[in-house]
Amino acid sequence: MKLRLWPGKTKERRATILAGLILLQALCALFFIGDVIEDFREDGHLDNPHLLLESVAAAALIAGVVFLMIELRGLLSRMSDMQIGLEIAHGHLAEVIENFFDEWNLTIAERDVAIMILKGLDNDAIARVRNTASGTVRAQATNIYSKSATDGRAQFISVFVEELMAGDIRSGNGRGHASMPHSREKPTAKDRPAL
Amino acid sequence: MVVVARHYSGRESAREITVWDPLVRLIHWSLALTILLNGAFLDAESKSHEWVGYIALALVGLRLVWALIGPKHARLSAFPPSPVRAIKHIRAMRAGDRTVYLSHNPIGALMVYNIWLSVIAIGLTGYMMTTISFFGVEWVEEAHEAIFGWLMFSIMLHVAGVLFDTWRTGVNLVRAMINGRKIIPEWHDVI
Repeated sequence: MKLRLWPGKTKERRATILAGLILLQALCALFFIGDVIEDFREDGHLDNPHLLLESVAAAALIAGVVFLMIELRGLLSRMSDMQIGLEIAHGHLAEVIENFFDEWNLTIAERDVAIMILKGLDNDAIARVRNTASGTVRAQATNIYSKSATDGRAQFISVFVEELMAGDIRSGNGRGHASMPHSREKPTAKDRPAL
Repeated sequence: MVVVARHYSGRESAREITVWDPLVRLIHWSLALTILLNGAFLDAESKSHEWVGYIALALVGLRLVWALIGPKHARLSAFPPSPVRAIKHIRAMRAGDRTVYLSHNPIGALMVYNIWLSVIAIGLTGYMMTTISFFGVEWVEEAHEAIFGWLMFSIMLHVAGVLFDTWRTGVNLVRAMINGRKIIPEWHDVI
């Protein structure tokens, strides 16, 4: 589930910086507007160059604020698109894994162990999590590899990675889960190596 | 199996949803700071009191622009000022409905508008006091102070409402305004 955080990190920082800039620039605009109003109240003329310059600066700052706001909006909507795509991918990956497990007729205990293998736990750690002897886990792992016709941990994991990469090449016509919208699938499949 | 798989698929377990963008959060806490500064620390006669007041006005103005062009949850359309919705929400609450609103809930929305309007009114009366035509006019000064009193009362209600809703729905609203994310407990519906 650490995956959940990664798409945002740098973008999130950018969004925060952008928001801070918007705020600061808005306050600068406020300062110039206040100054213009004050000068005008004292002076009563709008035509002196100093006032004119200040007005232009205020207008430019306000335009900048609006422009930055539109930028921030764009950035935020790209972030949420990515998040949605990632969530769809999470759900589909879970489905794909379930389908494989069904196909291989794994027992409930074996499914549990298989998921932990996919998550990168070694046999000792799995034994500790499941409160069993590591010999039991080793036997279960061997069963899993033979049922899935793989020769070990690396090849077992590669079955799933291959499935994900295939989705990219065949643009979503992989086995049994073509329902994923194409536009969502492309970026997530491409970004997947972070897994 | 069950526990691991559920955690793994992320479907039935608690969901973490980003609701408040950084600009909304920054404006919220900046506005709170300006109110605190002007209410408790700065001399009411001072120049800095005036400037902090204008900053508060600018913050509300900025938020209103963002409410028009910003993302979904920050928009006015996500929390329309509707007493009818507020009453429906109260009824639903009393019936034990624990639906979570991603943006402001209908009662919270009314409070948002109330606070914005109060700040604007305080800012305007404050500005009027600096102009020649209204300088020393009693009702302006009285309005400025009365609305500030109303704002203090509103803020207490606001904080109480946040605590109450956090307790009621189990969604930590203070945390959501800090890091932008609401964690929705698994058994709740979301609007």
